[in-house]
Amino acid sequence: MALLEIKNIDVSYGKHVTVSGCSIDLEQGEICSVVGESGSGKTTVIRAVLGLLPGGGRVSSGDIIYDGRSLLQLNKKEWRALRGHDISMIFQDSGAMMNQTRLIGKSFVEYIRTHEHISKQDAWKKGADMLSRMRLPDPDRIMRSYPFQLSGGMRQRVGIAMGMTYQPKLLLADEPTSALDVTTQAQIVRQMMELRDEYGTSIIVVTHDIGVAAYMANKVVVMKDGHIEDQGERGYILNDSTNAYTRKLIGAVPSLGGKRYV
Amino acid sequence: MFDEKDLILEAKHVTRRFPVSNGRELVACNDINLKLYKGKTLGLVGESGCGKSTFMRFLVWLDRPTEGEIIYQGRDITRLKGRELHEMRQHIQMVFQDPATSFNPKMKIRDIVCEPLLNYGRIRPSQKRDKAAELLKMVELPADFIDRYPHNMSGGQRQRVAIARALALEPEIIVMDEATSALDVSVQETVIELITRLQREKNITIGFICHNLGFIQSFSHQIAVMYLGNIVEVMPGDQLSQVCCHPYSRALLSAVFDTRMDFSKKIEPIKGEPPSPLDLPTGCPFQDRCECCEDICRHEKPTLTEIGPGHEVACHRFGKGGAA
Repeated sequence: MALLEIKNIDVSYGKHVTVSGCSIDLEQGEICSVVGESGSGKTTVIRAVLGLLPGGGRVSSGDIIYDGRSLLQLNKKEWRALRGHDISMIFQDSGAMMNQTRLIGKSFVEYIRTHEHISKQDAWKKGADMLSRMRLPDPDRIMRSYPFQLSGGMRQRVGIAMGMTYQPKLLLADEPTSALDVTTQAQIVRQMMELRDEYGTSIIVVTHDIGVAAYMANKVVVMKDGHIEDQGERGYILNDSTNAYTRKLIGAVPSLGGKRYV
Repeated sequence: MFDEKDLILEAKHVTRRFPVSNGRELVACNDINLKLYKGKTLGLVGESGCGKSTFMRFLVWLDRPTEGEIIYQGRDITRLKGRELHEMRQHIQMVFQDPATSFNPKMKIRDIVCEPLLNYGRIRPSQKRDKAAELLKMVELPADFIDRYPHNMSGGQRQRVAIARALALEPEIIVMDEATSALDVSVQETVIELITRLQREKNITIGFICHNLGFIQSFSHQIAVMYLGNIVEVMPGDQLSQVCCHPYSRALLSAVFDTRMDFSKKIEPIKGEPPSPLDLPTGCPFQDRCECCEDICRHEKPTLTEIGPGHEVACHRFGKGGAA
């Protein structure tokens, strides 16, 4: 049985339907990437999965089944137990999503203590331990830093470490590498692939970088104007798809030794 | 490689130091020597904070170097002032990264694209309408866009307006600071097609800043790789993947995700992050992240050495006497 089934959902803001008829299945240990231009609704879909649609947004039809139960029927308490424990999210800039006036360690401890009844000292230790497991150098120094004191790549890795604390079964990543340099991007991509290999985490990556999407994913979903234009195995999307939009999108990706304009 | 008579702008030993607290200084650009040729594109690549934008900003007088000179039309343009500077600015224009923030949101498109022309008295205010429509046509936008505001347009359309504004004065050189990074891949492609078409038609020189090697090699004639304020390699754009040999350029190249790459191969990112530019190690700036670091790299800083036509590299492994 699939770990996550998004069944034909519509997302609406008021009467306005922004995403319609979206269905994605995800198996345990599978990586699925959602690609598309800005405004195509890719972020909306994964936010709907975590019940994090911004003000007024709601899933107006269809259903989201996670591990055999519908996510749309959960009450607040059940959500709190699930978010950050079974399902985690990594944002485009994890540092900006943290409180800038609190130490990273403090945010981390608070997060751990909402899910587990342990002392602050133990939570701090657990946090530092998690950072070192994600191969961050000098975890104690990072715990005692503010988000703005770290570089973009470092902050992103702290975000991933936080998201992975409880070894979630499902990780949602919203443009995890878009704000980073190419070299740091490669480090983060590699780290996320290792998570899948070590812990069997299923990952949905939303990105507009088709190269990254293709490298990471078993399955690629192409979105356009709020609906799924095309989806399938990586090889199919890259080489065999007959969809005109997919072809155009793949063709536009700059490639080494590929098309030259001069 | 390039014809020396086409040389249009030359940067010689350009260095920029910024004073920081405790009497220390930060060297953002260290002894940069670069040449721009007529009608060609120079791609400048590097990680954030390597000084690539700082260098390009010298060309448009948004900053001045501490040492060194930039020769254009036989004169050192970094020392210009007043009237002369005003005149010179017509010839070098800039397109910024984020088109949403590089326009005044309260100006209409026609005022935006015609402002440089009015500044130099090239047109009368009554001619604005026709001139703006003509400029928009050049960048393949419909003429009725002249009455829009920047927020009524998509990112790609705004970037086209930015290009129209930069081209309004018919400059010889355009500096583009990550001009397509904020755009989607499909839009990026159309914008690059537009830029290269205009370059061919008007024989414009372009200085393009980017951090994606895979993208920049698709339209650059010459590529310079920067690391921590130093140029580490300059190479011809069309043979990038064959000739590139500096360990840092190779690392950048291997970090490019491509739809045609071998997906079963594990990517090998370079370890760590660039050291703080405030306390650079002596010797080669790349030593701590380099896999082939030797003793000499820790003591002596490599200088750019020519190892092929139009190909220079600053690495001890490719020093005197050809490739190691």
